Amino acid sequence: MEKNIVGDDGMKTSDIKVCILRIEGTNCEQEMYYSFKRLGAKPELVHLKQLIKNKNLFDYQCFMIPGGFSTGDYVRAGAIFAALIKSRLSKEIKKFVEEGCPVGGICNGFQVLVELGLLPGFDKKMNVEAVLTINDSNRFECRPTLLRNENNGNSVFTSKIKKNRILMIPSAHAEGKFLFQKDREEKYLQKLIDNDQIVFRYVNEDGEYAGYPWNPNGSFYNIAGICNPEGNVFGMMPHPERVFYRYQHPDWTRTNLKTLDGDGKIVFESLLEYIRRRF
Amino acid sequence: MGYKHEIGLKDADDEKLMQISREYGLALSIDEMKKVRDYFLGKKRNPTDVELQSIGQAWSEHCCYKSSKSILKEFVFGIDNKRVISREDAGVVSFDEQYAYSLRIESHNHPSAVEPYGGAATGIGGIVRDILCMGCQPVALVDPLFFGNLNLKYKELPKGVKHPKYLFSCVVSGIRDYWNRIGIPTVSGCVYFDKNYVGNPLVNVGCVGIGKKSNITKSAVKKPDDLFVLVGGKTGRDGIHGVTFASEILTEKSEDESRGSVQIGDPIMKEPLIHACLECVEKKLLNGMKDLGGGGLSCVVGEMALAAGFGAEVKLDRVPLKEKGLNPWEIWVSESQERMMLAVDKKNLEKVLDIFKLWGIPATVVGKVIPETIVRLFYNGVKIFDMELDFLTEGPVYCRNRVVKKRKRKKEKIPDELRNYNRILLKILSSSNICSKEWVIRQYDHEVRGSTVIKPLQGKINSVTHGDASVIKPLEDSFKGLALSVSSNPYFTSVNPLNGGKSVIDKVCRNLVSVGARPDSLTDCLNFGNPEKPNVMGDFYESVKGMGEICSYLNLPIPSGNVSFYNETEKGSIPPTPVVLGVGIVDDIRKVVTVDLKKEGNPLYLIGETSDEMGGSAYYHLVGGYSNNVPDVGKRLLKKSMSSLLNAIKKAYVAACHDISDGGLAVCISEMCIGGNIGSILDMSGINNLRTDIKLFSESNTRWVAEVKKDYEKKFRDEMKNVKISRIGEVGGENLIIKDKKELINLPISRIKKEWKKTLWEMMG
Repeated sequence: MEKNIVGDDGMKTSDIKVCILRIEGTNCEQEMYYSFKRLGAKPELVHLKQLIKNKNLFDYQCFMIPGGFSTGDYVRAGAIFAALIKSRLSKEIKKFVEEGCPVGGICNGFQVLVELGLLPGFDKKMNVEAVLTINDSNRFECRPTLLRNENNGNSVFTSKIKKNRILMIPSAHAEGKFLFQKDREEKYLQKLIDNDQIVFRYVNEDGEYAGYPWNPNGSFYNIAGICNPEGNVFGMMPHPERVFYRYQHPDWTRTNLKTLDGDGKIVFESLLEYIRRRF
Repeated sequence: MGYKHEIGLKDADDEKLMQISREYGLALSIDEMKKVRDYFLGKKRNPTDVELQSIGQAWSEHCCYKSSKSILKEFVFGIDNKRVISREDAGVVSFDEQYAYSLRIESHNHPSAVEPYGGAATGIGGIVRDILCMGCQPVALVDPLFFGNLNLKYKELPKGVKHPKYLFSCVVSGIRDYWNRIGIPTVSGCVYFDKNYVGNPLVNVGCVGIGKKSNITKSAVKKPDDLFVLVGGKTGRDGIHGVTFASEILTEKSEDESRGSVQIGDPIMKEPLIHACLECVEKKLLNGMKDLGGGGLSCVVGEMALAAGFGAEVKLDRVPLKEKGLNPWEIWVSESQERMMLAVDKKNLEKVLDIFKLWGIPATVVGKVIPETIVRLFYNGVKIFDMELDFLTEGPVYCRNRVVKKRKRKKEKIPDELRNYNRILLKILSSSNICSKEWVIRQYDHEVRGSTVIKPLQGKINSVTHGDASVIKPLEDSFKGLALSVSSNPYFTSVNPLNGGKSVIDKVCRNLVSVGARPDSLTDCLNFGNPEKPNVMGDFYESVKGMGEICSYLNLPIPSGNVSFYNETEKGSIPPTPVVLGVGIVDDIRKVVTVDLKKEGNPLYLIGETSDEMGGSAYYHLVGGYSNNVPDVGKRLLKKSMSSLLNAIKKAYVAACHDISDGGLAVCISEMCIGGNIGSILDMSGINNLRTDIKLFSESNTRWVAEVKKDYEKKFRDEMKNVKISRIGEVGGENLIIKDKKELINLPISRIKKEWKKTLWEMMG
């Protein structure tokens, strides 16, 4: 356990409070909670109603939106949750982001951040610039996926991961295909590249950009995760919180269990390290 | 406005009684109707419609097990085990010092036949509430499914019946859309296709949960003046007469007449309902909790009160409704989903209501516990129901006539020995009951909650094979695990229900042992035809007897289960289909073993004895052979084999292990090769003197193939000295090569994989 590790002159891990937002239909909050707790931080499950009424976002150093099917996702995934957040917490969240506090979304959380206009976040006005749409297979799929870290150091959620390292992080979604509007595709892609916003891309065993099932949803440019231009807002479709430990990997019985660390752990470690330095 | 509707039973003759039973959808027999009439004669009044409906619910086969109780008592209920903590809505069994796990399986067959999407979805709603009401967090779901053959020609489809492809597709979507939303992983199951399920598919659903022993909640009230708090969804007209619908056979009119019996599910009510109920449990605010399932309020109120020796008064007008204008009897028997009944001490009421308010879930006080064992209902101040609980809940118990069907020992039809084994192996691998079920499994989230340490698909990424059992690590601070596996074999049970029943237990034990789990308890769903037919009762009796015999010997308790009768259409009954969900204990999940082959050069061992018992085998089914000789189970051998193999796995001698079942040894090794994406070379000449096709395709019980770590081969042999084992080959190469004196099979793994994987994708897209 990495309790009480202090950054250069930053805060203690055990003082880091993480707000994990939940609503009816959020269902990956427990494993996200444990991912922070196991590293010694103080995660808290907070219902949207509580955050609106009697909690203050600025009491936390980090704001996370977990996976699930928020409010059922009967319209476009994440849309209703995003609308609820936007109508009541828009200002706070905008300020939170501008102050450099990290905001992360996994799976449904990524969908929410895109619907909120925080990702890719080119124009800083919370306009929706991309979409996570229905998988090419037209169905929900739960499968292991391999992701290569292609970020050059901008994303605070992946700072500890070596560039080009391939991680096994599983996917489970029906709407994960990242797309831009067709006529802006090239322009926006160039922006992503120029701003160092691309974080994870789907690859095959040999590290090549491959089609289905390695790219499970048909995502544009094999995109699995991106950050905003400033690097403090991050979203990804696959679930790092499901592979915190090695024995959560789908093929771990094929290897010696030399380490208990799973490939997802380093995402949470990177994040906590950033917070320790930043605050 | 007051409401009271009396029904004239007093002077009714037999004909009139039966007319009333039909008219009000009670599904009661003439003897039962007479019993009701006599009861009210004694009370010197006529019953109200609410009272009569309530009796119809309480005495239905579905609710009171009137046909099966005596047989279950004889063979299954008796298996006593001190690990069992509770046998209520779900069984509860000790997990470790502090925690217990709960388990239950049940059917949702009839609803799924008429409304497959909603039927399958709500099936899981009920089972999750069964686990929840024990005070446990649901941690895993399973879904054994049975359909008619997918390639059935439309002109062969009986009137009023939906095509198996449509049913299969809708059931899987229903499960996917509901189960994924509630955030509980679906980790195991089976899919089976056979023409005898055409009119009556089976959708069974099972759930396992975990909870602190100190939080295990009773399905009962505690004391008079406890309040009944109804929480969750509102009550509507959906799901009226679900249990009486389930207690009759399906006809071509079932859809029109009974669609309203199918409830409508709302996972986004269920998901927070789980949170809120468990928070109340954790804060010790509840005196009791029970889910509203079959029979709705009419069953839950009486059962909770009587379990503690008390009665209840309920104000029906307090029940929150989905729509105006429901009659009191409809409110009383509606099976609307996502509802739980809590028994709450007055002093805790406010705290309970606050918790539900945060989650935006309706919670309403609808009644209270009274000292006498009577239920009284009021509607706008008018008393419309006043009955002794003893009468209401003491449903009839039948000792139905049964004939152990003297199955004409059909003439054995032994197929000629094959010339082309490559071809037949590929044909078996691509047959719908053996082929890859990845199409289904990937649509379910099998790892939400992050505790599925062994997944249903095992092996190299994107080269996976079916596992024998999945393993859940339910607690954050313990490496102890729960293994789950589902078993059934309708081919066996239809030829010989006794051996079939035994084999079902053998298979589930084999599956659990394969991953290194010690079988700990079972829950069963017994799907059969019309129990009023003596030969159906005969099959039921024999199957249960077979299951009971093996379980008793192994001291494996079955603390919960479900009987589903009337799985029958005008064309006939389904095959006898007992389904078992087995739960095993893994002491340390870091030591479990999977099916996929690991390493070139490792030796392969066959564990167990292969015999000429081809009755009910997939191979005979495919080549048109027939035999009455269904594999039996040697219970001593089973016990011995389990314990030796478990030790070998625990000591880490075993790299991969797979049980031999449908399709025999040849299919078993093929699946192991697919998962490892590596070949093997096998020589069958060491196995006893049998025909080659029997060696390859026999489904004799109590057998496994184990890949043993090369350096531990001697130790493995020592460990297994009391069990018959034979070294049959080695892992390696890119082909599966099987010899028996001469070479029989030589196929690239890529080809095997392709044939095994393609079937469902091609059929379902």
